[in-house]
Amino acid sequence: MRKNDDLEINAFVDGELTVDERMDLLAAMQRDPDLAREACEMNNLKSQLQLAYANPPGLAACNVARGRSPWLTIAASFVMLAAGLLGGWLLGNAPANPERFVMLDAQGRGQAPATADSPETRIVFHLTNPDQAVAGELLDDVEQMLSAYQREGQPLRVEIVSHGEGLDLLRQRLSQHKGKIHQLAEKFNNLTFVACKNTIDRVQVSEGIEINILPEAEIIESGVNHVVKRQKEGWAYIRV
Amino acid sequence: MSEKTPSLLSRLGRNRRLKNAICEQRERLYRLAWSWCHDQHLADDLVQETLARGLAKIDTLREESRLQVWLTRIMANLFRDQFRKQREETGTDIEPVENEETPERAADRSQLVQRTRAAIAALNDDQRQIVTLVDIAGFSYADTARILDVPVGTVMSRLSRARGKLREHLERSPVTQAKVVPLRKL
Repeated sequence: MRKNDDLEINAFVDGELTVDERMDLLAAMQRDPDLAREACEMNNLKSQLQLAYANPPGLAACNVARGRSPWLTIAASFVMLAAGLLGGWLLGNAPANPERFVMLDAQGRGQAPATADSPETRIVFHLTNPDQAVAGELLDDVEQMLSAYQREGQPLRVEIVSHGEGLDLLRQRLSQHKGKIHQLAEKFNNLTFVACKNTIDRVQVSEGIEINILPEAEIIESGVNHVVKRQKEGWAYIRV
Repeated sequence: MSEKTPSLLSRLGRNRRLKNAICEQRERLYRLAWSWCHDQHLADDLVQETLARGLAKIDTLREESRLQVWLTRIMANLFRDQFRKQREETGTDIEPVENEETPERAADRSQLVQRTRAAIAALNDDQRQIVTLVDIAGFSYADTARILDVPVGTVMSRLSRARGKLREHLERSPVTQAKVVPLRKL
């Protein structure tokens, strides 16, 4: 076999060829059984290597004590709490137009109508990050914040607006935190999950599939317009 | 005011997010480090040092999406500068040390696994790193080239040679006599 054939087969099994190059090589394999066998063996070798190092000695020990310290969680929640208070103080004072606005959800979560000059802290989290580990941390932080305010009897309203790549958090098929979202929605009527319809429409067109959103979430027309509206209404805005 | 608040918060959030993301790379880095040295303690040290350096240099990471490549590059440099240097200074060769029987070893004692690891151990450092970065860590040729600071063409040719040697080794090594050979013992 020529050296170039060898490099090409390597690139083929490693997914480094363009579509046209792959098509050419596949056609060549149909004509040349040796070439096809070579690619197959190379692919087997790759799988064999992955298997051989899937569980090296000491891997379990390396994961010990990886869990997040409860103190860190508490500290993080205080940071978020401080951020919310700071944001609320910075953004919530002297609104230009203290009109009443209606909460999104018709089932009662966050049902209390709010005014922009009310004393409660209001925070909108704008989630655009596709990493659900980050979204999970956000949910943890929000839960700590809601619990802390509840204990203190302080009014707080929180919205999590999933937009762009952040929509995955609220997708039935992709969300890794369905249970947590359900639990939070049940527990806190001052927390609202919001999904952006523009994003849903765009993903439906690009992926060619129907997007189902978790029942706990409200769907609004535009995530961007919504967070802008919230900022105008005096909500603290935190992008995640 | 509304412009300053998100930037301050996003900077705080970025650092915290990155610190968590770095710590979550431990398992992936360990798997790779062990494949380079076949020594549990050395792999552990290498990963610890990599994480410590990553956390200390967190501000130098420009693109968050490049975190894996960035950290692996730190580990590859550590491996090259410290591990190899140490080996040259001590003149320690690869020692065929019998493996201790552990629950993990008992679980993965399949001959296929042992033969494959022995074949990897028989490669030179450069070839071993290339093949493990591409096959075990799943990096693209371009990312592997960045991690090892070599041209993509070098990655391709080394990878091809490494796989050729692996196949030769696997074809000629008798299944019943295969065992893992740690590269060295510190």
